[in-house]
Amino acid sequence: MENHITLVGNYGIMLRETLTPYNDYLIKQLPVSTVFVDKKYKIVHASDKWIADFDFTKRAVLGKSLFELFNDISKSWKKDLHSTFKGKARLTGIENFYDTQKNEKWFEWINVPWYDEKENIIGVIIQTKDISKTIFDDIKLEKLETLLRDKSEISKIGSWEYDAVNDQLVWCKITKSIHEVPEDYEPDIQSGVNFYKEGYSRNTVAMAVDRAMTKGIAWSETLQLITAKGKEISVIAAGKPVFKDEKFLGLIGTFKDITDEVLTKARTEEQERIFSSIFNSSYQFTGILDIDGTFLEVNDTALQFSDLKQEDIINKKFWDAYWWPIPDMVKEGLKQVIAAAARGEFMRSEIVVLDKNKQPIPVDFSLKPIYNEDNRVVSLLAEGRMIIEMVEARQKLKISEQKFRALYELSPIAYILSDFETGEILDFNSSFETATAYSKEDMPNLRYADIIPDSSRHKLINFIKEVDSKGTYGPFEHIFVKRDGTSYPVLISGSLVGNKKGRKLLWSAAQDISEVKKKENQIRDEQKLLKTLIDNLPLNVYIKDLESRKILVNKSELVYCGFKDESEVLGKSDYNFYDEKSALMSREEDLDVINTLNPILGKETISIKKDGSLTTFMTSKIPLISPDGKASGLIGISMDISDLKKQEQELRDLINVTSIQNKQLINFAHIVSHNLRSHTANFSMLLEFLVEEKDANEQENIIKMLTEASDNLLETLDNLNEVVAISTNVNLDKKPVNLNDKITAAEKNIAAFLKKNNAKIINEIPDDTYIKVIPAYIDSIIMNFITNAVKYKDHSRDPVIKLTVSKNTKYTILSIEDNGLGIDLNKYGEKLFGMYKTFHDNSDARGIGLYITKNQVEAMNGKIMACSEVGKGTTFNIYFNDQA
Amino acid sequence: MTKLKSIAIIDDDPITVFGIKRMLSTLNVSENINSYVNGKEAIDDFKRFIKNKEEVPEVIFLDINMPVMDGWQFLEEFITLHIAHKIRINILTSSIDPVDRENWKRYMTLTHHIIDYKNKPIQKKEIEEITKAA
Repeated sequence: MENHITLVGNYGIMLRETLTPYNDYLIKQLPVSTVFVDKKYKIVHASDKWIADFDFTKRAVLGKSLFELFNDISKSWKKDLHSTFKGKARLTGIENFYDTQKNEKWFEWINVPWYDEKENIIGVIIQTKDISKTIFDDIKLEKLETLLRDKSEISKIGSWEYDAVNDQLVWCKITKSIHEVPEDYEPDIQSGVNFYKEGYSRNTVAMAVDRAMTKGIAWSETLQLITAKGKEISVIAAGKPVFKDEKFLGLIGTFKDITDEVLTKARTEEQERIFSSIFNSSYQFTGILDIDGTFLEVNDTALQFSDLKQEDIINKKFWDAYWWPIPDMVKEGLKQVIAAAARGEFMRSEIVVLDKNKQPIPVDFSLKPIYNEDNRVVSLLAEGRMIIEMVEARQKLKISEQKFRALYELSPIAYILSDFETGEILDFNSSFETATAYSKEDMPNLRYADIIPDSSRHKLINFIKEVDSKGTYGPFEHIFVKRDGTSYPVLISGSLVGNKKGRKLLWSAAQDISEVKKKENQIRDEQKLLKTLIDNLPLNVYIKDLESRKILVNKSELVYCGFKDESEVLGKSDYNFYDEKSALMSREEDLDVINTLNPILGKETISIKKDGSLTTFMTSKIPLISPDGKASGLIGISMDISDLKKQEQELRDLINVTSIQNKQLINFAHIVSHNLRSHTANFSMLLEFLVEEKDANEQENIIKMLTEASDNLLETLDNLNEVVAISTNVNLDKKPVNLNDKITAAEKNIAAFLKKNNAKIINEIPDDTYIKVIPAYIDSIIMNFITNAVKYKDHSRDPVIKLTVSKNTKYTILSIEDNGLGIDLNKYGEKLFGMYKTFHDNSDARGIGLYITKNQVEAMNGKIMACSEVGKGTTFNIYFNDQA
Repeated sequence: MTKLKSIAIIDDDPITVFGIKRMLSTLNVSENINSYVNGKEAIDDFKRFIKNKEEVPEVIFLDINMPVMDGWQFLEEFITLHIAHKIRINILTSSIDPVDRENWKRYMTLTHHIIDYKNKPIQKKEIEEITKAA
């Protein structure tokens, strides 16, 4: 086939160029059947093969039209030729014809346009191929035409044929669609048989085929097929064998899908069965009457109800049936009802019938005319439905409606029925009347809007929207206006109901919540009072949840936390305000209270805030216990006792100072007593000796000692005087003096002493240094320290004394640094400034100098610090108080 | 009365030393009486005795208030010296400070030596009682 097409293509190009008798000769010799036709369908050239193929050897074909040669060519072929004239490049098709021997011939053709030199289409080149052999191998099969052209489409009959010589099975499109296989499906005998449902259908067809081949018997059976998609269908499968010259050539046959007919039939049977079962098992009494009121049928329900049999009823008159109450009036009425139904009226009413025990039973009875095709009443359908339950239900409904009525009227809630569209008020209960003083007489003129204050009319829009979208509204708080114009608060809700006429009605329930509101206000007032109280307490009050987050703080706590607005504190925990350690401690306390439910009362705690500020609190933490007995949080109450603590500390400090001073005084008293006693002891002892002594020399010696003792006593007294003077002169006025002036004066005073000891003073004090002191003391103090520094010099070096000054906020500090012996402060530190304490083996040490100096400095509210290293020297820092 | 090998007086007051010596001389209890002006001088001397295997004075008169090393400081060191036999130490002071008495009682418990406490002035009779080997 491919080669064939290629050949045509080549020809096309060649022929366009030359159209000469020479070409004519060439065309004659073409090995492919080819014919050149002009626009009038006349043959211009024809190959010998074409002439032979179509059996035109005995006829002149050139110049003849196709119509003359082929008695009739199909419309489709004509159409194809026509479109080829119009330039359609290439068309193919299959056609048949009968040759001179009346044999049917099949050929496949290809049309290509025939161009002249100017590219004009001047005709068609038709190539044909005899395919009669390919298809049937010389077999002429009945209805083949039909088969290949799908002409059986309308009757939905599929066909098939089997070429036994080539063992080839062909299905037409319908056959394929019946089998639900794709169009390119290629069946064979085996697969074809396998489509039949296993069992009866497949066996039947297998036997039929066998008999057809062997005995030449045709078949037609109703069988089941299973399609490729698994659907079971019913078909009438028919077939017959084809013989030629007594030789079996093949089979042809048809399929008709009769599934729908089978189904329809089955359905009708099913419906009849269903109808009958409904007819008999229905709870209704059903009977069919003729138009004269004679029973044609009656169902089992009716028979059982009255304990009758079919023959008791059938062919009897309807009104003679057992179940009707006796009065003839009933009979007459029934006759009239049947007459009316026979005229085409539908009759329905509630009646009473008697059951098998003569008990009256209410029945909803109807009589319906049944028409035939000519719209004539042919019979009547009588139906009776027992309505005992309905009657009872109606009774119940009546009672419940009464109940509802009672509730409606007695309810403390006001009910209003209004027209949702117009706002007309259609009904209200007595509670509404009581609450608003409106009466039923007011109703005709009352609109829903009348009972709503003007001020809240705008809310109506939202309200209407809500009702429109949900069919209900509320509950929400609202205000109702009474008849006298005063108003009261209500909680309203409602829902939309439709009545039979399609009117939208709105049921509203309004609960008077004046009392509730009053209570709410009361609670609010109380809350406000409580809040004011808590806020103005001089205590920090807070409530914490289980996570120690603050959920309430009073003003004091808020201020303490350093915020202005509650929102900045609420929800936060101690970790947001305190340093880590304080927060942790507080959390532990909280947990203890929450877990044990034991309150912490009046515990002193120190809280350090993030900014480092320290507050001492007297804290109580009390668990908040919820109804389940567990803690839901805690109330904390803290009192800032920082000031108290400070005062307490000051007091303690004061007591300390006093007790130190007291100790000093006692110490002083003991020193005084000791010193005086030691002298007097000496006197007493010496005097005793003197009395006993006979030796004049020795007496003189004792007297000398007595004199010495007396001198010592006087000196002691002088020292004591000096000390007492300082202690009593505490109120001497302090004056600012130039420190260097005082130092220069002291240096001058002891110049000789300094020179003798080869001492050097390095004074680094600025000249403008002033200190506030009692002038007499400063002289003594400076003198004392300088002479001490020299007196306790290290004999291995010349004394060097360095004077410097520094200041801090409260004091001017004079430092006197020497390079003397130094003092072991670990050993003597405590006694350094004690009275009559000497630390060096120095004959002129009296142990009074530093004691007096210290007293003088302290009398001026100053203090002395010493640091020293043995063998290196000592530094005394004298603190002069600049303020007091 | 057996004579003591040696007696030490530790006091910075020459008159007191004179007085004690005079009283002791009349009692004639020892030929060997030494005096020290402070505790340091005494303890240094005693340490030397021990080092030289010489005897430490059997009776010591001890003043409390002294420069350089006072009576208490002396005692503190003295009780640490390795002296097997008991020494009698007579504290002689004009102090009536109860603290000093407390100190005395404390030291009594800290040592095997005998420590006595007397207030000045001391009578000859008392001296006699307290000047004997422990």
